Amino acid sequence: MAKKVFLIDVGRCNGCYSCQIACKDEHVGNDWSPIAKPQPDTGQFWLRQTEYVRGTVPKVKMHYIPIPCQHCDEAPCIEACPIEGAIYRRDDGLVIVDPEKCTGCRKCLLSCPYDALFFNEDLNIVQKCTGCAHLLDEGWSVPRCVDICPTQAMRFGDEEEFQEELAKAKAAGTLTQLGDAQATKPRVYYLNVPKKFIGGLLYDPAEKEIVKGAKCTLTDQASGEKHTTQSDGFGDFWFEGLEEDRTFTLTIEAEGFQTKTYDKLDTTQDVNLGEIALGR
Amino acid sequence: MSNEKTVLKGLGQCSFTRNGDPAAIDVKDGKIIRIRPLHFEDKYTKEEIKPWRIEKDGHVLEPQLKSHLAPYMLAYKKRVYSPNRILYPLIREDWDPSGAPGSTGPGGRNVENRGKSKYKRISWDEATDIIAAEIKRVRSTYGPYAVLCHGDGHGETKMVHGPHSCQMLLMEKVGGYTQAIRNADSWEGWYWGAEHVWGEGAQGHSTDADNVLYDITQNTKMLIAIGCDLETTPWGFGGQFPTNVCYFWNDIGIKQISIAPDLNYYAAVHADKWIPILPNTDAALHLAVAYTWIDEGTYDKAYVDTHVVGFEQFRAYVMGEEDGVPKTPEWAAEKTGVSEWTIKALAREWASVPTSTIHYYGGSYIRGPYSHEPARLEVCLVGMQGMGKPGTHVYNKMADGLTQLDMPRPEILLKLDVIRSKVWSGRPLLEVTKQLIPKTQLHQAILEGSCWSWGNTSLYAHIDDQFKKYTYPIPKEEGGSEVHMIWMDNPCRSTCWNNSMESIQAYRSPKIETFVVQHPWLENDTIYADIILPVNTKLEERDFAQISSASPMNGIAIEEKAIEPLGESLSDYEAAGEVAKKLGLYDEYTDKLSIDEKIKWGYEVSGCQDAISWEELNRKGYYYIRTEDDWEKYPAGMRLFYEDPEKYPLKTPTGKLEFFSQRLADHFPDDKERPPYPKWIENGPSHDERLSSPRAKKYPLLLVSNHPRWRTHAENDDITWTREIRTCKVKGPDGYMYEPVWIHPQDAEARGIKDGDIVKLINERGTVLGAAIVWERIMPGVTYQDHGARADMISTEAGASIDRGGANNLISPANGTSQNCWGMATSGYLVDVQKVTAAEMEEWRTKFPAAFTRDYAPAAGLRYMTWIRGEE
Repeated sequence: MAKKVFLIDVGRCNGCYSCQIACKDEHVGNDWSPIAKPQPDTGQFWLRQTEYVRGTVPKVKMHYIPIPCQHCDEAPCIEACPIEGAIYRRDDGLVIVDPEKCTGCRKCLLSCPYDALFFNEDLNIVQKCTGCAHLLDEGWSVPRCVDICPTQAMRFGDEEEFQEELAKAKAAGTLTQLGDAQATKPRVYYLNVPKKFIGGLLYDPAEKEIVKGAKCTLTDQASGEKHTTQSDGFGDFWFEGLEEDRTFTLTIEAEGFQTKTYDKLDTTQDVNLGEIALGR
Repeated sequence: MSNEKTVLKGLGQCSFTRNGDPAAIDVKDGKIIRIRPLHFEDKYTKEEIKPWRIEKDGHVLEPQLKSHLAPYMLAYKKRVYSPNRILYPLIREDWDPSGAPGSTGPGGRNVENRGKSKYKRISWDEATDIIAAEIKRVRSTYGPYAVLCHGDGHGETKMVHGPHSCQMLLMEKVGGYTQAIRNADSWEGWYWGAEHVWGEGAQGHSTDADNVLYDITQNTKMLIAIGCDLETTPWGFGGQFPTNVCYFWNDIGIKQISIAPDLNYYAAVHADKWIPILPNTDAALHLAVAYTWIDEGTYDKAYVDTHVVGFEQFRAYVMGEEDGVPKTPEWAAEKTGVSEWTIKALAREWASVPTSTIHYYGGSYIRGPYSHEPARLEVCLVGMQGMGKPGTHVYNKMADGLTQLDMPRPEILLKLDVIRSKVWSGRPLLEVTKQLIPKTQLHQAILEGSCWSWGNTSLYAHIDDQFKKYTYPIPKEEGGSEVHMIWMDNPCRSTCWNNSMESIQAYRSPKIETFVVQHPWLENDTIYADIILPVNTKLEERDFAQISSASPMNGIAIEEKAIEPLGESLSDYEAAGEVAKKLGLYDEYTDKLSIDEKIKWGYEVSGCQDAISWEELNRKGYYYIRTEDDWEKYPAGMRLFYEDPEKYPLKTPTGKLEFFSQRLADHFPDDKERPPYPKWIENGPSHDERLSSPRAKKYPLLLVSNHPRWRTHAENDDITWTREIRTCKVKGPDGYMYEPVWIHPQDAEARGIKDGDIVKLINERGTVLGAAIVWERIMPGVTYQDHGARADMISTEAGASIDRGGANNLISPANGTSQNCWGMATSGYLVDVQKVTAAEMEEWRTKFPAAFTRDYAPAAGLRYMTWIRGEE
């Protein structure tokens, strides 16, 4: 049987939280035994939306990463569960916590590196994302979160369907997975997760004008790799897609101005150099 | 199977019949199982629907074949099953309709206790008897217009079942009433300002909107969103299709600039550049852009010569020849907080490539003091670059009146106005009553006994109406009198109107002897009523719908009932109908038509009756109108005016863009706040809300308050699933779910505020609480709190009010947009933000114990039982 994967394009996620809410709409107050019992009204996030705000005013960027259960091929929760069959993998690859067999010992909770498991105090069981298996079995082609996504940032389907796209993304360096993917082998793939940026705005304090067309060169101090860009009609320059925790040198050269250099720019955080005055 | 039946419902909350993307509601055993997008291919093939398609550079924009629901539409069963639903009629336990006006104590009306006293259950029979009797008594005692009908503008969108102003329909049959006129709430600046430049149109916008979307795609290189949040505002009224339009424009390389005090949700994911600007200072930015163009000769002079009148006066003002102050970028930098060099760069980039501005209504940008100035300046700027030229438009995305033309033309233009006039149970929108009160003046009208305005302020009024004077009350000889009874639906003045603290005082005036409210939920201003009629949600009703607001396509639908009405609730139409029965006016009220007959009538006059049979519409549930062949051929926006202004004049007196309005000059020659041509207004008799004000010493921050992210105005504040999201509610250290207040780290540090602290917004008008989100999404000098949170009053003491819920409209300016423009100003005014200390909170707990013992659960907030006597 074809195994399923989630493909989530972070570059297309607008942060509407519909995925997080659709999951609640499906599972709060609805009993889908034997796949899942109702989740409590609040407090569980079988799909958890996360937000990232980076930079400083006005160079601020945001992205959102929705995190469902990763339905790992090497699921730590299955490993940790002491009861035979209480957590199992279906033929389609989805990992299910059996609400009948679960005794609420919570060993799986501690084992999951993705915080995907939740304890229901009233029912004394652990619960999590089921990939809406009960709907798939009824003929739906995708779970609720994917169905509601207004931009098709979230996709779901047979692994084979996405092979080519995943291979291309991997080659382009735009494919990632969460956590220690080598160990857990998650079935959730992410595209276009932003890396770090370095940016600034160039202006001439004497003339009170922005400086357009300045050549900006960013050099990775360790590898020597260079990136170049030019400041635009607003005086802005951006270097995006930079690896985290690198150290760079930045050189700004504009005709009629003194060269400006930054010796040590670290991408532990995104860097907004602010409004940079160039001297004549 | 997990559902027995599926019905469709348009869950947009614009009301007034324009519905948004429809949802599919799955029902089983009489219970709503889920709400999900409607998949059109369940009933139609793509060929049958024939959606439009725009391609550019290998990218495609087309409607998805499923609805683009907004998150709180998706969560709507939480509203249907809300713990705040009113299930049977209620009467305030210390209000006795036999009590004399102003009476207190047992047997009295005790109006001063409105909002404090509890309710007890009564029957529909009792409730409608009392209402009918009071209507008769009040009219015979005071006059034919002594009953005020206040229909709100938001809430569910229904057709036959109302809502909003079914009580007006009834009172018309009774013989008259005073109408609370709904103002242009959400597009004030366009209505009072832009209309005077380009002539009137829907929502103050140019009505020529054909193919603007298409033309921007083909020709625009830069899009400027000013105070515009296309990722938020459309949610309440339609859905998320605008999201896809913005991503498409990102894909094809149109540079998107967001000019706003906050990195709003649109800017967060679409903007290539964020230009932070101090709230309500955009007029200065616009003037400086105009200055740069004039100084450098980079505007379309030929166009201005043939398409504009009054440019010379405008030019002289901009260049400083009139007042000695040239409106340079340097001048504007100080006002706006935008650097001089960025202003110049903006002006030059704008002049060098085809540029359009974009809005969804107008947001906080045109809801501040003097908002007519930035609005009409924007029209002037786009005019200076040749409005109507390829790629050069002011684009109001999917505004109400433009919906059909905003998207590629459908084969049939839906006859929405006809449907409304025949089938909608609300008041006809284009007519007003003899005696009326603008909603923005309601508190004044009651507390002072009179008010007057230029124009009745109605959102649908003709522009000429702005030159007509209205007074309340009208002369006694004409039947005029003050109002002594209010019948309100969806009441939310305290959360949504101007200086709404005074509304609460007005509700408690002894002049208002009887206060009837009809609403599904015991929330917002429902708690001030004397009698409450329980209204059901549209999922409990069968109705007819037009489905198109903020959607990519247009259509009609029959909305079957999903579940049986909860408790004894009836629809708005039925509720007013029960009172009609007691008044012996039921036949007049219903035109002797059943609801089913009205639904069919809606279909018969829709314009679609020849495209789909009644039987087929019932079988499929809905019908989407096919796209017209060659829809691209329609001239985009104001293209015809651009090409031939003589042959295709605008609806202005001169037919041109009127930078100088002779009409304004003739009617308001001494108006310094809205002069005949647009200016920078630092302050005036109506408002003193700039950082230059002496008040700024005490209140040094400017508040920006937007259309809320997780509500439609005051709707949806109790949905537990959105309240778990931090930008919706922040859990305070006391466990209370506060309305977020955004503050920059710099301003937070100066005030000793940490992320998550309980804070208060203060000015002379009162105190509103919230909890701090300290981050870089807001510029220094500004604080942001969405509008519309449910008020939870700690104190309603005049001059010292304190609200815990975060309803900042309570402290918004009292005056209208300007002295002759009675729109409202609910953003862009002075406040401070301070940390609420434990000691201060303790002081409040001691002084106002009742406020802290309300039945409250963090998940959904304030609960029903707070106001109910006895068991449910």
